[in-house]
Amino acid sequence: MDSRRRVIDPKVRKVGFFTPGPPPDRTQSGPAGPSSQSPISNSLSPVMIPPARQASENLSRGVPVPPNVLRGHDCLDVGSYGMSESVMSEETESPRRVGIDGEFSEDSANWMRNPRDNGKSPAVDNEDSEDVAKAQFQKNSKPLKEKTTKAERRALQEAQRAAKAEGKKAGATSGVSAPTSKPVKQPNQKKDVTLLASSSTAVPEKKGGEKSLEKDRKKETVPHPRMQFDDKSRVEKAKKRSVVQQTEARNRVEIFRHLPQYERANQLSDLESKFFQLDHVHPAVYEVGLRFLAGDIMWSNTRCIAMLQAFKKVIEDYSTPSEKTLSRDLTAKINSSVSFLIECRPLSISMGNAIRFLKALIQKSTLAQTDSEAKASLCSDIDRYINEKIILADKVIIRHAVTKIRDGDVLLTYGSSSLTEAILLHAHELRRQFRVVIVDSRPNLEGQSMLRRLIEKGLSCTYTHINGVSYVMHEVTRVFLGAASVLSNGTIYSAVGTACIAMVAHAYHVPVVVCCESYKFHERVQLDAICSNELGDPDVISKVPGRMNNPLDDWASKENLQLLNLVYDVTPADYVSMIVTEYGMIPPTSVPVIVREYCREHILI
Amino acid sequence: MDQASDKTSISLTAGGDLFMRYVTRTSAVEYEDFNSAKSRFLERAGKFGEISYKARKIIAMLGQDFISNGCTILVHEGRPDRSGIRFTNELAKLDVPVKLLIDLVVAYSMDEVDMVFVGADGVVESGGIINMMGTYQIALVAKSMDKPVYVAAESYKFARLYPLDQKDMVPALRPVDFGVPIPSKVEVERSARDYTPPQYLTLLFTDLGVLTPSVVSDELIQLYL
Repeated sequence: MDSRRRVIDPKVRKVGFFTPGPPPDRTQSGPAGPSSQSPISNSLSPVMIPPARQASENLSRGVPVPPNVLRGHDCLDVGSYGMSESVMSEETESPRRVGIDGEFSEDSANWMRNPRDNGKSPAVDNEDSEDVAKAQFQKNSKPLKEKTTKAERRALQEAQRAAKAEGKKAGATSGVSAPTSKPVKQPNQKKDVTLLASSSTAVPEKKGGEKSLEKDRKKETVPHPRMQFDDKSRVEKAKKRSVVQQTEARNRVEIFRHLPQYERANQLSDLESKFFQLDHVHPAVYEVGLRFLAGDIMWSNTRCIAMLQAFKKVIEDYSTPSEKTLSRDLTAKINSSVSFLIECRPLSISMGNAIRFLKALIQKSTLAQTDSEAKASLCSDIDRYINEKIILADKVIIRHAVTKIRDGDVLLTYGSSSLTEAILLHAHELRRQFRVVIVDSRPNLEGQSMLRRLIEKGLSCTYTHINGVSYVMHEVTRVFLGAASVLSNGTIYSAVGTACIAMVAHAYHVPVVVCCESYKFHERVQLDAICSNELGDPDVISKVPGRMNNPLDDWASKENLQLLNLVYDVTPADYVSMIVTEYGMIPPTSVPVIVREYCREHILI
Repeated sequence: MDQASDKTSISLTAGGDLFMRYVTRTSAVEYEDFNSAKSRFLERAGKFGEISYKARKIIAMLGQDFISNGCTILVHEGRPDRSGIRFTNELAKLDVPVKLLIDLVVAYSMDEVDMVFVGADGVVESGGIINMMGTYQIALVAKSMDKPVYVAAESYKFARLYPLDQKDMVPALRPVDFGVPIPSKVEVERSARDYTPPQYLTLLFTDLGVLTPSVVSDELIQLYL
């Protein structure tokens, strides 16, 4: 194709991230001919409408690109690694992200310490440890802001270790005799600071939470390592601090060893029995955590709302201790709640986004505000977030998506998504004549409850398992899917099986419509479902309900058998025809535009 | 207003939307009294013809870079309104060597062609185009023979539509003259437009510059949100 195209200096604009810099004016995309009477320089272009958002204007301006980048699909990949990464990407900007990303990062685990530890290191004298921590903090924060060399950092780390040892000793000598069997109250926040200061990787993370935004955006030389669960020493450390009893699952699949996987059998009962011992976990957070663990709340929207409501209660009941600022202390409090929730179940990306929003809000609250003022404004902001980003967004998406349902359509959905269900019901209320095929899969069989609700409303449905999808696909005219997240290369991160459905639909030339609120969009780029995912309980796939003698009953004792119960998979953008967001219907190639224009605005204000 | 006369014209709808956008977005209007605001809008509306003319000039300038000496270009204007014949007449007047094909010959002569130029009734959010019937067919043939397909369209034709397939748009029905009487039982497909998905288009020449199809949605998001 290229050989035929004799292109002399093509002026092409590409989608995706643009390199920042002096924004070339649109007129530059015109030919370099005699521009004196070039009509472009005239202000009469039909799209010369005063833009609403000035800040984004620069980014969207075209830049000339080399001629080999001509097709839109290639552009995404090429563009997404531009220089603007320093502004857009997580890696360089990570300090604020403390285990909020569905990852169980080591630092977040540091927030808590298992009560069983107390025998070894009895409750540390609060004052002492705090002083140490403060000293650490000050000592530490300076050089980190500048670029430290490896050796310097090493020295710092040594100093911290020494200081920590001292702190421990001091704690021991202060002699709080804690009975080993019964854990005492954890002065967790203060301890956190010590712990955090003592762990080298955690330092930049933690402090990021307290740094101002400008500093945040500074380039960090050390990329934030995600907690890799195949790293034994770190896992040990994390385990010591965890509240939830975490027994490593046996016979884990080799390539997924970097993901956390625990035996679920007695986690719930164990955590329930700890209720009166976990003073530092707010009851509302505790309740949400228990429900995550029990699997009561499955949908990502409901999970996110439940979490935000719990945090709202935390904020309502919060009062700033003397000699502390709300923005710092409350962040720590929220962090500890977050890490508790992570122990119950890894966060979804949407929850990570919500936490990021909340932390940004907390940091914005100034000293000038009184406690109650700050708390009231935080609570109302949380309500606004839930309302605008989730509830109202859903309504708008439903309105958009219904326009794509015509009479006589056969719509296929997979699993259960609150949004797709609402779309189908709304279309039914509008008296569209259509049929629904619900494809379901083990082990959760989430589709069944949705099927029941749809049938009650009088929709005509077909129910099948994912094994039958290639058989039903030929009669389907539209596929509607929900998503846990949409990543900036247009990849859909969703319940496992979604990719299979989308690929079969693509093979049958059936359009695939993905409905997703924009608060679930994430600027990360992910190419496979291996590096970041969640592992479910392997027991649920080994058992078939109703079967008497199950051949896999004692699977854990078989050394050469590994069970894999993945929770998510990724669907490449090629298999998606359209993404419906509250901003309208967009092609998957335009996800970075939404991420750039809207998803960061609450953080960058 | 305009839509009443022709419900199916995409560029008309899109242009109207754009004007509405201008009305609602122009912040200066809030501070002016009604009469000056009104005259401002009237002025803007009056200039629309001029804008469209300028846009065409820009597109022509941008497009010329892609045409080199001696290349063969397939330009399609289809059957229903016989605009192809008018177009060849124009070209012949300018002494451009021109060959007239009927629609069925497209695949037959595609190997002699270096590139395909088409216009567009509307450019939709996916980056695809809605254009006169036959465009999709030509784009498919061109794609299978790896010939670039270029679209020339003014930016006011960018529409906030997103067809998922051929039937997913308001049909524009035009009478088709077969020259012979058709039995009444026979159904005649009278749609005059089809949708060409973005993967079959190479580049779009617009007054905003030369765009890849995926940038269209970027532009639309900038414009309308």
